[in-house]
Order: sequence, then C-alpha cells, then structure tokens
Amino acid sequence: MATILQTRGLKKYFGGLYAINGVDLSIEEGELRCLIGPNGAGKSTLFKLILGSYEPSEGTILFKGHDITSLRPHLRVQRGLSIKFQVPGIFLALPVEQNLRIALQRAFRGAALEQELERLLALIDLEHQRTELATNLSHGQQQWLEIAMAVALQPAVLLLDEPTAGMSPEETFKTGELVKKLNASGMTIVVIEHDMAFVRQIAKRVTVLHFGQVFDEGSLDDIVRNEDVVRIYLGKV
Amino acid sequence: MPRWMALLDGPQTLGRGPAFWSVFAIIVVATSLLPTFVNAFAITNLTYFLVWVFMALGLSLIWGYSGILSFGQTAFFGLAGYTYGVISINLGDAGLWTWFALLVSLILPIVLAVVLGYFMFYGGVRDVFVGIVTLSITLVLETFMAQTAGPEWTIGSARLNGFNGMSNMPPLTFPWGENSIIFDGPAFFWLVLALVVLVYLGLRILVNSRFGNVLVAIRENPDRAEMLGYNVRLYQLLVFVIGSVLAGMSGVLYTLWGSYITPSSMGLTAAALPIIWVAAGGRKDLTATLLATVLLTWLSQQLAVKGNQYALIWMGAILLVVVLFAPEGLFVTLWKRLRGRKRTRQATAAKAASSPSA
Amino acid sequence: MSFLVQAYAFFYQFADSFAFLVLCGLGLAIIFGMMGVINLAHGEFIMCGAYVTVLSARGGLPLPFAMLCGTLAAGLVGLILEFLIIRRLYHRLFDSIVATWALSLIATQGMLIVAGPSIEGLKTPFGSFELGDYSFSVYRALLPLVALLLLGALYWLFVRTRFGIYSRATIQDADMARALGANTSRIYSQTFALGAALAGLTGALYAPTMTAVPTMGQAFIVQSFVSVVVSGADVMLGLAPAAAVLAFIQSLLTKSYGQLIGQIGLLLTVIIVVRVLPKGISGWFLQRSGGR
Repeated sequence: MATILQTRGLKKYFGGLYAINGVDLSIEEGELRCLIGPNGAGKSTLFKLILGSYEPSEGTILFKGHDITSLRPHLRVQRGLSIKFQVPGIFLALPVEQNLRIALQRAFRGAALEQELERLLALIDLEHQRTELATNLSHGQQQWLEIAMAVALQPAVLLLDEPTAGMSPEETFKTGELVKKLNASGMTIVVIEHDMAFVRQIAKRVTVLHFGQVFDEGSLDDIVRNEDVVRIYLGKV
Repeated sequence: MPRWMALLDGPQTLGRGPAFWSVFAIIVVATSLLPTFVNAFAITNLTYFLVWVFMALGLSLIWGYSGILSFGQTAFFGLAGYTYGVISINLGDAGLWTWFALLVSLILPIVLAVVLGYFMFYGGVRDVFVGIVTLSITLVLETFMAQTAGPEWTIGSARLNGFNGMSNMPPLTFPWGENSIIFDGPAFFWLVLALVVLVYLGLRILVNSRFGNVLVAIRENPDRAEMLGYNVRLYQLLVFVIGSVLAGMSGVLYTLWGSYITPSSMGLTAAALPIIWVAAGGRKDLTATLLATVLLTWLSQQLAVKGNQYALIWMGAILLVVVLFAPEGLFVTLWKRLRGRKRTRQATAAKAASSPSA
Repeated sequence: MSFLVQAYAFFYQFADSFAFLVLCGLGLAIIFGMMGVINLAHGEFIMCGAYVTVLSARGGLPLPFAMLCGTLAAGLVGLILEFLIIRRLYHRLFDSIVATWALSLIATQGMLIVAGPSIEGLKTPFGSFELGDYSFSVYRALLPLVALLLLGALYWLFVRTRFGIYSRATIQDADMARALGANTSRIYSQTFALGAALAGLTGALYAPTMTAVPTMGQAFIVQSFVSVVVSGADVMLGLAPAAAVLAFIQSLLTKSYGQLIGQIGLLLTVIIVVRVLPKGISGWFLQRSGGR
C-alpha cells in the first residue's frame, strides 16, 4: 500500500519549548491510525501542522507524494485533506442544513448536492433537525455535524481530533462504528483520542506521542504491553 | 424560473415570496412616479437620501455579511468624489466625457481597495486592526486633502482647494442629437433610483449565492471556512473591493448631487455615519440597512431643519438604545419578532388541528 | 551656540509630542490594552477633564485642585457609564465600538449645546524661557516629566498594590481570578474608572495650554489610538518606547513639512506597525525575550 501522508523530521518551536520535536510519521493509504499520548504531547499541534494552521520550524510534510509544507491550508484541503477540530468548528449561528451545504457546495451542485445532503443528514441522524441552529444541538450532535462536514469533502485523508470528547458511551460507540464504516469505504483516517475503549473499538495501528516525539508505534496490544507507555500515562495524570 | 432569480430569496436576506415582492414593486413604482406630483425640492431631497444607500449596502456586505469592520468606506467615497471632480472639470461635459469620468471614479477605489485589502488580508491583519488601519487611511486622505488649499494644488485645471472643497463640476450629460440630456433634477433622481434598485437586487442575488454562503461562513468561523477549502483571504479581498465600488458610487453621486466635495466627507464623523445606519437597521440584512439609511438620513435632516443641534444627539441615542436592546438592529429585531409570533400562531393552529388524532 | 539652540528646539518639540502621546495613551491603554474594550469615547473623557478643570479654576479653585476635580469628574463619569452601559459589552467587540462611538457623539454635541462653542480658557502657568531666537513654555517643558512620573506611578500601582495585582489577574483570566476570590465585576468597573480618570487627568493637564472646545476630544483620540496600538497590550513595557518612536517621527516630519504631514506620518506609522508588529512594541519585546 502506498504511503499517503508523511512527516519527516517535523519540529515546531513555540518561544520556549518544542511542541513537536522531530516527528517522523508515515500513514498508509486506507489506514485507520490512532494517535494517543498524554496531554501536552503535541497531538493537536501535529494535526495543525499537517493542515497548515501552523508553519513548521523544521521538517517536511508530504501528501500523496508531494511536498505540501509551504502550501496554504485551503489548498491542502482542496487536495484531499480534511479535519475535524478538537473544539467543534461549525457555524453555530447557521442551521444544520446550511452548515452542510457550505461544506458540499464546492464539489456538488443542484440535485446531486441535495442528494448528498440527505445522505449526510441520515448518516449523522439529524434529518429532523435540519433547520435547527447548530448552536442548539447537543455537544455530541455538534461533533457529528462537524464530522459530516469534514466527510462531505470526500477527503482522501480525514483527521479527527478527539471526536468523542464529551460524548455518552452510546454516542461514542456509534461514532466508532461510523469511523470504521468510513474507513471501510477507503478513506484514510487518523484519530487523536483519549478514550481507550474507543481506540480499542476502531484501531488497527496506534502511534504514541510524548513530549513532541513518537514514543512507540504498533498495534494496540503491543503498545499496552510496553511498560514505559503505561508509565508516561500514569505519571502525567 | 432562472436560477439567479431564485436567489433573490435566500437564506441570507429577510423578506421573500410574492407578498414581499409585491410590496417592493409597489414602492418602486410609486417612488418613480413621485416627480409628477411632488415639488422639485422634495425630489432633490429624496435623491440625497438615496445617494447614501450604496455606501451603506457596501458596508453591510463587508461588515454584516463578511464580518470585516472597515472604516474605509468614506475613504473610497472621497476618492471617487474627488476623482470625478478632477476629471470632469478637466475634460468638460461634451460627448460622453462625464460618463468616462464616472467610470474612472469607480476604478480608482478598486485600485486602492486591492492595494489596501492585499496589505491587510494577506498580511494577517485581523479583527479590530482592520478597523484601525482603514480608519487611519481615511484620516490620512482627509488630512492630506485638507492641506491642499494652496493654488499649487491643482490637477490640470481643477484646483483641489483643501478644506474649502472642490466645486463646479459638471453634471452627467448625455449627447442627444443636437442637444444633450443633463442628469439633474428628476432625471438624476430616476438615475439614482434605478441604480438603487439594480444594486439592491444584484446584492440580494450575490449574498444568497454560493459566494454569499462562503462570506457568511467566513464571518462565522474563518478557520473552519479555510478548512473546507475556501481561499478565505481572496474572498475577503473580493468583498472588500465590491464594498469599495459601492462606496465610490455614493461618492460620485454625492459629488454630482451637490456639485461639491470636501475633505470633511472623509473625517471622523463622516466615517461614523454609515456605521450608525448599518448598525441601527441591522447590518446582517440588506433590506434592513437600506430602510435604516433612508430613514436616518431623512430623520437627521428633519432635525437639522428644526432643532439643528440635537440631530447628532438623537443619532447617538438611537444607536445606544439599539446596541443595548436590539443588537441585531432595529428592523431585523422587529422582523424576527413578527415572524416569531406568526410561527407560534401557525404552530398552535397546527397543533389544534392535529391533536384529536394524537 | 546656535546649533545647541536648534538641537534643544527639536528636543523640546520631541519631548512635547512624547508627553502628549504618553498622556493621551495612558487611559486608553488601560481600557483597550488591558481590558480589550475599544473606547471611542476616550477623547470625550479627556474633554470632560479639561472642561471641569477650567470651570473649577475659573470658579476660584487653585489650579492643582481644579485639575484634581477634572480627573475625579472623568473617573466618576467613567464609573457610571461602565455600570450602565459598558459592562454589558465586554465580549461584544463590534457593539462596544458602536456604543462608545454613540457616547462620544452624544457627549460632544451635548457639550456644544450646554457650554457653547468654546469657553474662556486658562493661562498657561509658569511663563516661558528664552533660548536664542526661541521662546519655550516652562509648563510644556515639564509635561514630559509628569508623563514619566505617571508611568512610574502606574507601574507601582499595578505591580505593588493589591488592586493592581487583582486587576491584572482578572484581565488575564477572569474565571480564575473569581475562583481565587476576586470581585471581578468590581475590578472591571474600577479599572475602567481608572482609565477614564487618567483620560480626565490628561485633559486637566492640557487645559491650561489650549482652548476648551466641545470637539477637542477628536484632537486627542487619534493620538491615543496611535500610541496604544504601537505600544501593544503591555502598557508598562510598550507605551514609553512607542511614544518615543512616534514623537520622533512626528517631530521630524513636522519640522520639515508642517503639522499636517506630521499627522499623516503618525497614521502611516500605525498602519505599518499593525502589519509588521501586530502585537506592538511590547509584544515584540516579549517575543524576543522568549516568553510565551
């Protein structure tokens, strides 16, 4: 399988510390990778670097074989990257339907757009709340709305930053099933998560980040067996 | 119905459907008939109120729809006005020269807007600092023009005249066989009215289109908009330029109306007025902005005629009350209240109709 | 000898601009720099201080007391306005711009109606001294020292007193400060009142040097925003350097090309600084020293 997303020697310095201190990450096409690590390990920063919200201090990012390190974020998205932020990044003052429309209108028009809109609304179970203002949704529903918007772009690689934060166990499970379904259709997905049950539900391969570096990588069982990993989690609580 | 017409009704504007458009049509027709039974002075007055509409709509587009607070509208206003003055005084009113002057006066604001917009949006200037930079530019222009009073400040045969203001520019003139149609009085009124209608309809279509959807997205969450693949900076630049043309239109029409333009039209108070109209009516809606502009310009004129000094105090008070109690704008809040009541009535009626079977 | 006189004349002009920029900026720096509230009525607080000073002095009070009255009057008005209006607008940037602009409009027009287009002013105290061909006002030569003293006093206030520490904590993180027992709404209103009082003090200090007119606020507001924007959020760190740079540019341009070009130079500097140093001079200092 081809490598679709890769970082080489990625570093990010924030006036005092290296949030990311030399990360070599390699994601295969069609993978479902989980990124875990204690708070402050640099996971969200890594996502922001990949999307282009932050400029790296050192290192390169390759997407589909091309160097995208100096590309503006919107251009990276146009090439097939998509992200769901940690803090829900939706249009709160707009209705659910309008949120999705804005996500869809670049790629779809007319009847095709309406069809895709219906499909997404059904996917996230918000068909009956389509005219509801996004701010009136529950936290879990807002997360799903944002996932739907990120998915609407039909990305090659989808980055999910803590998609189940604040969700109930049922919602978490549903999200896991949704993520697996999307991955089964061919979408490469990278997920940052803290909820270990969720990671177990979906993950095939896990990368552990600590102090801005890759600490360990492997299947979840391998990771859990690594005593140092357990220690860094316990030590940081 | 062609797609563009369907966009006249859309998510980003209030008022839609046959009822709304019938009222709109009636108002437009009635207004265009006014010169036949109202005296010339009143027509000139009404023209004056309409002249400001473009600048206000431009600000609504930039601020209300795109979330960019710019104090630069008056800069484009003044630039266009002075450009018309300089060119038309130099080239005269023969043939189509006045129309050429009009065209160039709209192009110069575009140039300034592109330069300024690029400087700001592509330079990472955000939020309140856009306001500061645009206000500074406006004041630079005002200060610069104010010190051009000396006779050496002349472009061709047009003296800039500093704080005294430039005057005696010719009205728009169209050659018609042996004579020419001079656009003043009722003719000018109809021209301005036609432009108002065209611009209003055009903007309605624009803000309800896919372009408008992106503007609103940028206003609500620019990072998310960028992560949906939209070139946020380019959209901001484009909307800023459109706003500048509209402000320029007001500038030229104002200069034509009074045959006069002065640096104080770019001063602090002048920069404040469009903000007041737009904020008072409801910056996020075109119709609310239009109504508020006409109403408040009329109101301040009435106050100036009767009790001169209190005009600005009333304006300030209105603004304060609106910000504190109806921050979405007076007309927008009223509209939403009325709609809310209508919807509640409909819902109650629907419930009553369906309850026996529940 | 003549060169020294020229040099002093330039220095005097520079120091005069410096004082003006610092004093104008102080009140606004507290309110905008620290609290993030855009107070477009700042010029009118200055006007309030000036008017009360002039009227008190004309009414018989010795000048220093008249100035105190001016300062307190502005502070009181600030307290009232904060309570009635400003406190509802803390997280509403656009609305606070519009509301304070409305207040400015009302205040200017109101003063025009109540007090007329101008009132009889005060004489500048301390007279003047001569050097070569030039005559300088002693009072205005002393103002830069007053400005520096005020900066020092504010530093002491914000770093060494309880109020100062609570104030800075509240502004940095209100929730945290509240959790630690600070009465945040009282602190907001006190800080706002302090900013207003400082503006009043500026008006009071300049009252003997100019004619009090209702629109005088407009002459101050632009300078105020200019110095605050260039200074950045940290008043102590940025205001004096910002005022120094701006005063230098303005004096240089005014000397060669006149007042209005000097003014334009200031405005252009602001535009460039916003673009190149978005966090102002204090932000640049902090960044260089590796903080945050």
